[in-house]
This record gives sequence, structure tokens and C-alpha cells, in this order.
Amino acid sequence: MAPPRSEVLQGTLDLIVLKTLEALGPLHGYGIAQRILQVSEDRLKLNQGTLYPALLRLVQRGWISSKWGASENNRKAKYYSLTRAGRKQLLTETESWERMAALMARLLGGVEGA
Amino acid sequence: MEWLCIFGSRLRSIFRKRHLEGDLKAELHSHLEMLADEYVRRGMSPDQARNAARREFGGVEQTKEEVRDQRGLPFLETLFQDLRYALRVLRKSPGFTAVVVLTLALGIGANTAIFSLMNSVLLKSLPVRNPDELVVLRYADAQAEGANEDFSYPMYEALRDKSSVFDGVLTRSGVDFNVTYAGQSEFAYGELVSGNYYQALGVRPWLGRLLSPEDDRTLGAHPVAVLSYGYWHARFGGDPSIVGKEILLDGRPMTVIGVSPPGFFGTEMSRDPAIRVPMMMTLVFRPVPANRMQSARHRWLTILARRKPDIAAAQAQASTDVLYHQALDAQLNALGSSVKTHDRERILASHIQLDNGSQGFAHLRGEMQRPLVLMFSVTAMVLLVACANLANLLLARSAKRRKEVAVRLAIGAGPRRLIRQWLTESILLGLLGGAAGIFVAFWMKSGLIRFVPAEFSTNLKAPLDARVMGFLVIASVVTGLLFGLAPALQISRSSVTEAMRGETPSPASGERVFSLRNVLVFVQIALSLPLLIGAGLFLHSLRNLRGLDTGFVKENVFLANLNPSLNGYSTERIRSLYSDLLTRLRALPGVRAASFTSSSAISGSWDQEGVRVEGYQPRQDENMSPNAAIISPGYFSSLGIPIVAGRDFADQDTAAGPKVVIVNQTFAHYFFGDANPIGKRITTDDDPKAPLNMEIIGLVKDAKYVSLREKPRRHFYTVLAQEPRLFDMTLQVRTADDPRSIGDLVRAQVHDLDANLPLYATTTLEIQIDNSLIEERLLTWLSSLFGMLATLLASVGLSGVVAFSVARRTREIGIRMALGATRRSILRLAISQMVPAVCLGLAVGLAAAYVLNHFLGSVLFGVGSTDLATFAGAGILLASVAALAAYLPAQRATRVDPVVVLRYE
Repeated sequence: MAPPRSEVLQGTLDLIVLKTLEALGPLHGYGIAQRILQVSEDRLKLNQGTLYPALLRLVQRGWISSKWGASENNRKAKYYSLTRAGRKQLLTETESWERMAALMARLLGGVEGA
Repeated sequence: MEWLCIFGSRLRSIFRKRHLEGDLKAELHSHLEMLADEYVRRGMSPDQARNAARREFGGVEQTKEEVRDQRGLPFLETLFQDLRYALRVLRKSPGFTAVVVLTLALGIGANTAIFSLMNSVLLKSLPVRNPDELVVLRYADAQAEGANEDFSYPMYEALRDKSSVFDGVLTRSGVDFNVTYAGQSEFAYGELVSGNYYQALGVRPWLGRLLSPEDDRTLGAHPVAVLSYGYWHARFGGDPSIVGKEILLDGRPMTVIGVSPPGFFGTEMSRDPAIRVPMMMTLVFRPVPANRMQSARHRWLTILARRKPDIAAAQAQASTDVLYHQALDAQLNALGSSVKTHDRERILASHIQLDNGSQGFAHLRGEMQRPLVLMFSVTAMVLLVACANLANLLLARSAKRRKEVAVRLAIGAGPRRLIRQWLTESILLGLLGGAAGIFVAFWMKSGLIRFVPAEFSTNLKAPLDARVMGFLVIASVVTGLLFGLAPALQISRSSVTEAMRGETPSPASGERVFSLRNVLVFVQIALSLPLLIGAGLFLHSLRNLRGLDTGFVKENVFLANLNPSLNGYSTERIRSLYSDLLTRLRALPGVRAASFTSSSAISGSWDQEGVRVEGYQPRQDENMSPNAAIISPGYFSSLGIPIVAGRDFADQDTAAGPKVVIVNQTFAHYFFGDANPIGKRITTDDDPKAPLNMEIIGLVKDAKYVSLREKPRRHFYTVLAQEPRLFDMTLQVRTADDPRSIGDLVRAQVHDLDANLPLYATTTLEIQIDNSLIEERLLTWLSSLFGMLATLLASVGLSGVVAFSVARRTREIGIRMALGATRRSILRLAISQMVPAVCLGLAVGLAAAYVLNHFLGSVLFGVGSTDLATFAGAGILLASVAALAAYLPAQRATRVDPVVVLRYE
């Protein structure tokens, strides 16, 4: 049986995209989608279309920038890359996410222990 | 800052829509292609691969839509969409649009015009640097009502030199000038100002330079003057070469050193002094009293100061009060025992207060506040009537647009979306009305200013500034919301099925007595009636004032002022000049009589003088100061005041002869009862031991002296030949025909006698009296205009409602007629539903007027604020107009042909 697939949590997609761009450098939408699916080993349900409003949102905030370029097999594609502000944002969001995750783990662990 | 960045990016994307659309399409396309490539690589056929890619990707159009929402500003885009739609709708019904825009233009324009007057009189700051830092210095003690603002020059010096809380303390005092340049003389109002005046206010020269403290060092040693921009243009044609030239002020050469900038009128809203000269020149232009600059007793200066920005208001006031009391102590010590203990205590009990000086000495404010607020209430009420009227119009129209609404509902528009669309439409109408209202505001404002005498109106002519335009925009939007709300809410309640049927609701459901339409009619009637009643009361009051027995004949009297004393004439020379002038004038054709007086009738100014009267023992605190005027022989004949007993002054009453006096009936009755006053003696000498040196030689009829509203005053007249000192006097010439035509002849005679002597303030007695009634005329004019406008609007609205309901019930009326209803009963049917709304409106309107009119009490003259006749008259007038307005469209109902109607069915 395939492992259960999780929905992408509200608000986490932004963080995932930023992290992806940090790890791989400039990348097009297709590449980002593939990378997310690959890393999550298909355990994430990602409607690839939802990526685009998220990308636009990040561009509007100035965290990533976009530029047209050519893909590996020579297709025209729009490449996104992390900006300096985006790097800073990634740092703070990672931190707060880790804090939150640790907290949740502790809270849920506590419930189990009782 | 982040939201700004996001907003900017979203806003930009609205204008790059097409480009971004293409971009998005290409990006998604490339994504799908890459996905398909992958599937091909895994062994699918290209077609299969493309389909698989699409499945994997999810909805392409959905993604696009989401990106679009994220990209632009849905709020703005919807707004643009609604606006485009609204414009299209309005263009399709130009008649409706024109009526609405015109109504709104009148309503909003009138409000804007009044607001712009309120703005310049009540709200506007002086046109100087940081006006909020300015304070007006006043002092008050516990006993006195209100504060006094006149200071002596030594007090000014003390406050100026020792204060540490001010960035400049300036003082000023008004002064009259006879200005002569290039052989032409004229009168001008000017100001004596301290040397730091312009610096402290922060005003820069327009031309040349302005006065500085160096121009105000030594008494009498600074013959320099600064012109106002307006006067420079009016008198010198804006010629820049006037700077450095000499002009004669009261016959003395003064060098013009500069021109102050346009828009600067000084420190008093109602005045625009033409010429300013240094304070140190005071004694040259106002030689009496000679110790004016040294004496602490003469208080003749007003003081304005600029508070240092870092000093709190309370601290500045406390510190100034300390200085004030130090100076008072020093002055009282110097005066020693000549000051009575009582006076000393009272003086020391007074304290400085610093009032907001951002509007300068706001004297005009006090006078204009009441009429302006009244006018604003009137125009606001008219605007409300207009709103109610338009709401009704829109309701009727929305009934016609049911189909359109049905379609929109059917394809999924929610009630919220519909309300938004309808409000966009009405706000657009409001703004269009406001735009057209700008012209109405211009027109009305210039109309209003014409009621105000020229010397007051200078600073009211200010263009419509940002604050006024802001008011206009807000008023337009609020108005739009107000009249659009009811129809919008109603339309949003429509149900799809009902609307789609295209059926008008059955008569039973639509004709409730308290339907929205009837409520709006009620509101209009209830608002219009107080306006009509107000107009009636003002009209009545004005007619009373105009028809009042003034005690003199106001027609055909030419008036002008002369002040030879400014030019250094001795009293002796003035007398002979006046006598020569009167002799010349009396010889002119068309002149019936000519004379001089020190206080012109109904000019608002007067003199009083203390008297002692033969055989009269005054009580302790009795007012023994009747009105007094200095006149020449011929005064009574030029005004047409009858001499009841005794004689007029004559040439034989000279300085050398026995002193004589003429009294009015109230004076005689007050002091002598029914006894004959002729031959009795009085005196104006303060000394209680002085002899009663004046003999009453004449008794004249009472008249109005200062204002038309005054009660009878005690009044006495002395003759100018026997007066020790003479100042400015008013010449009055009674003519055979139009008094204005005599002006040039009189001026020529004066010029002939002395070319440096200007004749000023030329007018006629009738105009002077009319000017005293500005407030009344303005209020009458406005309330009549707006009362009629409101009535017209209300009746049009009423008519519309009846017409609409008749049109809706055509079928029903047809059936009734077919069944034998008479024309009369049909008429009653059509009108009857309006009766409760109109009657209730009239009742509430009467009650509202009864309550509101208590505020009018002191404005009215000779008519009570709850005058029964006026109330009844206005009520009947409005009721008849309403009846007519309902009858006309109802009458059409009786012309319904049952055959036609039923065949249609």
C-alpha cells in the first residue's frame, strides 16, 4: 500500500518553495514541483497549479525574483531565484517553524504520556 | 512598508494586464510541456503524455484565475467594472441623468458656497508663516464680561523687551490716511505697525523691502511706507517704479519702500489695510493726545505674539502674566495717588490670557458666525430634501430595471454584489453632481459676496481652496450614498423568480401607506415646511424693517466723508472750509439742502456725551450720556427731520455767541417730562461746579440713529461753529433726483477748494440703510430661494410617486372603470394614498419649525418666531402645492380607457 499522502499545510508552501530555491538555486516552476515531489517521496499531495499563485505571492513580497531563460532541453521557461530579502525571510521562517514543530511535538508527546 | 510594495506591484499589474496574461500563458504552457516531455521519456505517446500532464497539473484555467486574483487588485478592478457599467447605464438615459445631476449640483453647490464662506471666515488661518504659533494677547478680570485687547504703548514695550517665551511680539493700530499722489487725493485705511511686524509674521516682500525694526527706532524719524499688493494694483496700476518714490500721506511726504505679497491682508480678516507705516510715526498722523507713546493710560494697541515652538501654551501665559503685572505695578507706582484704590484693585485683578491667534483678531467671526451657521443649516436641509427626492426617483427607476436585476441574479450575482453596483452608480451620480456643483458654488458665492459691503468682502473672495474642494468631494460621496442606499437595499431583496416573471407585484402588496416611497415624500414635506416658514418670517421681518418710520426721509440723500484734520487743518480752517463748501453746494442746480454731521444716520457708529441738565437730579448709577452729534445748520432740512418747537441752528450761532443745543423728543421727555424744553439749560462739562452753559433752542422729532432696530434714544445736537475740535464729518446733500448723479459735482467742488483733500465713503442714505440690513437681506434672499427650491423638489417628488403608482395600477383602474367606477372615485383612489404622508409631513414640519425657530428670535424684527399667520400661510401654501402635484398625475389615471387596458390583458 502507498504511504498516506498529506495535504500541503496552509502557509507551508511558501517556506517549501523558498527552501527549494535555496538548495537548488534558480529554478522554473516545473523544476520546483518535481523537486518537492521527489524530496517528499510522493507523500505530499501537490496540485502543481497551486504553485503559481504562491510563486506570484513571493515575487510580490520581494522574496524571489523571476527571469525568462532556457531549460535543459531548450524550452523557454521562467526561472525563479531567491533574493536577499528572501534569504532572510527563509531564515526567520525556518526558525519559527522549528520552534512551532518542537512545541507541537512536546504538546502531543505530553498528551500521549498522560 | 511591505504592504506598500505589494500594493505597488499589484497596481502596476493592472496596467500591464495583457503582457502579464501572455507571460502566464507561456509559463504554464512550458510547465505542461516539460511534464509531457517526462511522460514521453517514460514511454507514452505524445498525445497520452499531454493528457497525463494535464491531469497531473490540475485545472489550468483555475490556476490562471487564482493567479489573476493574486496579481491585480480585485477591489479596484471590480470598481472599474462597475463604473464602466454605471456610465453606460447613465448614458443610456440622459434625461434621468440630467435631472439628477442638476438637482445635486444645486444642492451640493449651495452647500459648498456657504462652506467656502465659513471656511474663509471661521476656519481659515492668516496667510503667514506657521499661524498656529500666533497668540492674541488679551486681559480680563473676574468682573468684566469678555476680555479686553487694547494695550498702551509702554505695556507693549515691556512685553516685547522682557518676554522670553515669544519669538516676536508685534503691535498694530488702525489709522486713516488722506493719500495724495500725482495730484489725485483719496482716502485709505492704513495701519501703524511695530518695526518687527512683518518679521514676526514671517511675511516676505513682493517688491522692494518691508519694514524692519530699524525703521521703528526714533519718534517721528521714519517717513517710510509699505503698500499692500491690492492697493498697489488699484491705485498705482502695479507700477514697480513706485518703490523709492514719495507719496503724500495726510500731506506729508513718505517714501514707499516696498509692497507686501498678494493674499496678505494683515491680522484682521475683515480688513485689508492699504498702507502700513512704522509705529514711531504715530504722532505725525494722530497728534492727539501728545503723550500717546508714553502714557500708560491710553490703551490703543492690539498685540499679537509668536509663541516659541518649544514653549507650552500654559507656560507662555503664566510667564506673560508675570511680566504684565510687573509692568502694571511700575505704572501704578509712577502714577501714585492719582489712581483711586478701587481702580487700582480692579487693574491688578486683571490677568493676561493668550488666545489662539491663528486667525488673527477674528472680529468678523463674531459678526458672521450666526448668519453663516443659519445659512448652512438651510442649505443642508435643501440637500436632504434633494436626497429624499432622488431616492424616490431611483426607486421608481429601479422598478423599471427589474429585468436587468433578474438577469444578474440569475447568473449568480449575490445581493452584496448588487448593492455594490447600485451604490457605485449613485455615488458616481453624486460626484457628477458635485462637479457641476462647482459652477453653482462659484455663482452663488459671488452672489452672496455682493451682499457684503466692499470693505468686508476683500478676504471673502478667496478661491475655492483644497479644504473647500475636499468638502465638495465628501459631500458628493455622502449624498450619493444617502440617496442610493434605500433603492440599493430594496433591489437586493428581490428574488430571482419574482423578478424573472417580469410581473409587477400585485397592487395589494405594493401600496402600503408606509412604503418607502411614502416615507420619502413625508421627509420632503417635513423638511420643506420649516424652510418655507423661515423664509416667510425673514421676509416679514425685512419688510417690517424697511417699512419702519425712521423719522427721516431716506430717499435722495447723497453722503460722503471728509477729514481735513488729517491734513493738519486747524479747527478754524475746517470751519471756513465747511462753510465755503456748503455755500457752493447749495448753489448747485438740483441741490435742495446740504449739511455736515459727525455721525451719519444708520451708519453703525455713534457718539455719546455725559450731560448735566437743569432741574434734573440723576440717581447714583443713572446713565447720563445721551447720544450726541455735531452738526451744521441745515441738518434737519437735509434729512427731513421736522423741528417740533424752537429753531434750527443758524449762522448767528458762532463760537463767540452763547452756546446752543437742540434736543430730540425722547431727550426732552426724559429730562423735562411734559414741560417745554425750549430755554432750559444743560452742560457737557464734567466739572460738577461748572455753569449750565448751553441753552436748548430747538426740539426735533425722534429718529433712528445707529440702527433700525434700536429703541428711541435720547439725542442732542451741538453746532460745529461752537465745537473746539472737529474730526472727520459726513456731508449730506439732499437732491431733487437720483443722489448718485451729484457725486462728481460735489467732488469737483471739494477738489476746487483743496486738491489734497479726498472725498471718501461716498454713498447714499438708502444704500447705507440697506447695508445695515446685510444679515436680514442675506437670510431672506437665501431662505426664500431655498424654501422655493425645496418646495419645488418636494412637489416634483410627490408628483413622481403618484404618477408611478398610477402607471403601476393601470390595469386595476381599467377594471374598476369597466365595473362602473366614477372619475371622482378613481381620482380619490390615486390621491388618497398620499394623504397620510403629506399630512404627517405637514404636522411634523410645523412642529419642527416651532422648535427650530426659537433660534431665530433675535434675528427677527416685529414678528414673533412662532407667528401664527406665517405658519398657517406656509402650511397652506405647501399643502396646496402638494395637492396640485398629486392631482396632475392622478388626473391622468381617469383618462385610462378600460377597453384598451382590458384588451391588452
